[in-house]
Amino acid sequence: MKLVNHLILRITLFFAIVMLFWSAIYFFLQMKEIHDGNDEGLTNLKQEFIAKANKIPGFIEKLEDNTPLNIIIKEIAFEEAGILVENFTTAKIYFATELEEEEVRMLTTAFRCELTGKYYRLQFFTSTVESNDLIKNTLYLLSGLWIALSLTIFIVSKIIIYKANKSFYKLLNELKKFRLDNRQILEFPETNVKEYLQLNQSVKELLEKNIDVFNEQKIFIENTTHELQTPLAIIIAKMEMLIEKYQSDKKITEEISDVLNTLNRMKRLNSNLLLLSKIKNGQFPETSLVDLREIIDLVITDFEDLAAYKEISIEKEGDYYPELEINKDLAYILFSNLIKNAIAHNHQNGKIIIKYASDCITIANSGNKIADKVFSRYQNTAADEKSSGLGLSIVKSIADLYQLKITYIYNTMHIFRINIDQKIKQKRKNG
Amino acid sequence: MKILIIEDEYALLKTMEDFLLSEKYLVEKAADYHSAMEKAMIYNYDCILLDISLPGGNGLKILDEIKKEGKTGSIIIISAKNSLEDKIIGLDLGADDYLAKPFHLSELNARIKAVLRRKQSDGKLLLALGNLSIDFTQRQICIESKPLKLNRKEFDILTFLATNKNRLVTKEALAEHVWGDNIDLEDNFDFVYWQVKNLRRKLKNSNAKITIENVYGTGYKLTI
Repeated sequence: MKLVNHLILRITLFFAIVMLFWSAIYFFLQMKEIHDGNDEGLTNLKQEFIAKANKIPGFIEKLEDNTPLNIIIKEIAFEEAGILVENFTTAKIYFATELEEEEVRMLTTAFRCELTGKYYRLQFFTSTVESNDLIKNTLYLLSGLWIALSLTIFIVSKIIIYKANKSFYKLLNELKKFRLDNRQILEFPETNVKEYLQLNQSVKELLEKNIDVFNEQKIFIENTTHELQTPLAIIIAKMEMLIEKYQSDKKITEEISDVLNTLNRMKRLNSNLLLLSKIKNGQFPETSLVDLREIIDLVITDFEDLAAYKEISIEKEGDYYPELEINKDLAYILFSNLIKNAIAHNHQNGKIIIKYASDCITIANSGNKIADKVFSRYQNTAADEKSSGLGLSIVKSIADLYQLKITYIYNTMHIFRINIDQKIKQKRKNG
Repeated sequence: MKILIIEDEYALLKTMEDFLLSEKYLVEKAADYHSAMEKAMIYNYDCILLDISLPGGNGLKILDEIKKEGKTGSIIIISAKNSLEDKIIGLDLGADDYLAKPFHLSELNARIKAVLRRKQSDGKLLLALGNLSIDFTQRQICIESKPLKLNRKEFDILTFLATNKNRLVTKEALAEHVWGDNIDLEDNFDFVYWQVKNLRRKLKNSNAKITIENVYGTGYKLTI
C-alpha cells in the first residue's frame, strides 16, 4: 500500500469514528434540549391551570365538559393522590385526525382543588419531535456530512501529502534507477523540508561511500591481476626452460608439462579477469557504428577450422544487417565468446544456427542441457573444468555496458538471444 | 646478433637472458630506467626488449629517445599491462612489436626472429630449413623448388616450429601462437594435434627432410 493512502485511510477512519461519537452526543443533547423546552411549557400550563382552578369555581367541571385537547383530568382518591409523584414522560397518544399514535411529552401530576377539596390526576401533554424521525433525519444529514468531509479530507490530504513528499518520491525513483557500476551519483530533488534535506544528504553520503568502495574494489582487482602477470611470466618462462633442459627424461617432462598446463590455465583465468575488470572499469570507451554481421562472419572465419574439426555446421538465417554503436573489439569479444561457447558445448556433428531477426540476434547450438545460471562468474560444467568459465561473464558485462539484453534458454538447443530492437539501425539487404 | 633486455624483474630478466644465450645471441641487460637509457643511447643493438614500467621512469620515454636518436635496432615492447592504449602508443612511437606478459619463450623467440628478419637488408624473407625454403613475405613454402600447398594455420604452425627448431614447443604456446587467445579450451588440444598430423602428412608426401616430433604429448619439436 502506498504511504499516502496508508496515512490518509487512517486519518479518514479516525475522523469517521470521531464523527460517529460526536453525532451520538449531539443527538442526545438535541433531544434533551427539545424535551427541556417542552417540559417548561407544560409546567407553565400546569401552574396556570392550578391558579385558575383554585380561583374560578366550576373551572374543572367546565373544562371536563369541553374535553380539552391537551389535558386529561381524572378525579382520584386521596390515597392515590398521596403516592402520585409529579413526573415527565414521553408517551404515545392516539390522534384521531392523524389516524395514528403520536409521540407526546406528558406531565403527570396530582392536584387538590382548594374550592371543592377533591383530588384529581392531571396529565398535560404537548406533541414533540418524534425521536425516530429525528434519528433518521440526523443520520441522513450526518452521513452526508461524513461522506463529504471524508472525501474532502481524503482528496485534500492526498494532494497535500503528495506535494509535500514530492522530493521523497523523486528520490525514490532516482534510487530505483541507481546502479553502482554506473558510477554516476544520482540527481537529488530540490526540497526545503528539513527532513528531506537530511535524507538527501544521508543518501548522498551513503552512495558516495559505496561508489568509492566499489571503485576501489574494481581497481584493486585490476591492479592485482596486473601484478600477477609478471610472476606468472617468470614461472612460465622458468618452467619452459626446465622442460627444454630435461626433455630427454620422459617422467620429468610430463611432470613439468602438468605444471605448465596448470600455469597456463591460471594465466588465461587471470587475463580473463583482467579483461572483465577492464570492461567494467570502462576502459573501452571508443565506439563506432559496427556491422554486427561482419563481426560475426569474422568470428566464424576464425573458428571455422575448429568447427570443421568437430564437424559442426554453422548456418546463418535472416536477411537483417544489424548495426550497433559499440566498441569494435568488445563486439568481437562478445560474439567470439558466444560462438566459442556454442562450439565448446556442442557435440560431434552438431549444429550452430545464427539467426538475424528485426529485433534480435539468436545463436543456437545443439548440445546437452547445462546449468541455468549461465551468466554468473565461474559457472562451469563438470565436463570441461579446464575452461575458465569467465567467457559468459565477459559476454554479460559487455552486454550490460551497452544495455543489450541477453537471455539464455534451453529448448532442445542452447539458445542465446541478444535483444537489439531499440538500439539498432536495421539495414535491409540491398537497402 | 646483439640483444638488450630491459626488465626490472630480476628473475624474468635472468630467464630471458639464459634463453637468448641458448639461442646464440649476445645479450646485455638493464634493470632500471637510467642504466637502460644509458645503454640504449651509447650502444647499438639489433633488438631491444623493452619493459614499459621501470623503476625511475617510463619505458615509452626510452623508446621515444631511441627513435629520436635515429637508432635502427628493432624494439619489442614487453608489458604486463596488455592494454590496447599502450600498444597503440608504443607502435606509434616506432616499436616493432608488442608482447604481453606472461608470454611463452618460444613466442618471444618467434617475435625476435620476425623483427630481425624484417630488418634484413636484402628484403627477401627466406628461411632455409633442410630441403625446405620458407618465404615469409609470400607466405609460401617450397620443397626443392616445388611449392607445397598449406592452409593458413598449417603455414603458421610450420613457421612457428621452424623458428623454434630443435626446441620443445609446448602445445599451449603453439595453440596460442596460431589461434590467438581465442583458443582457451583444453579439449581443443586434440584439434591442435589433428592439425599437426595433417601438416606432417603433407610434409611426408612431399618428401620434406624435416620431422615434427611429438614429445610425450607435451609439445612438438621440429628437427632436420
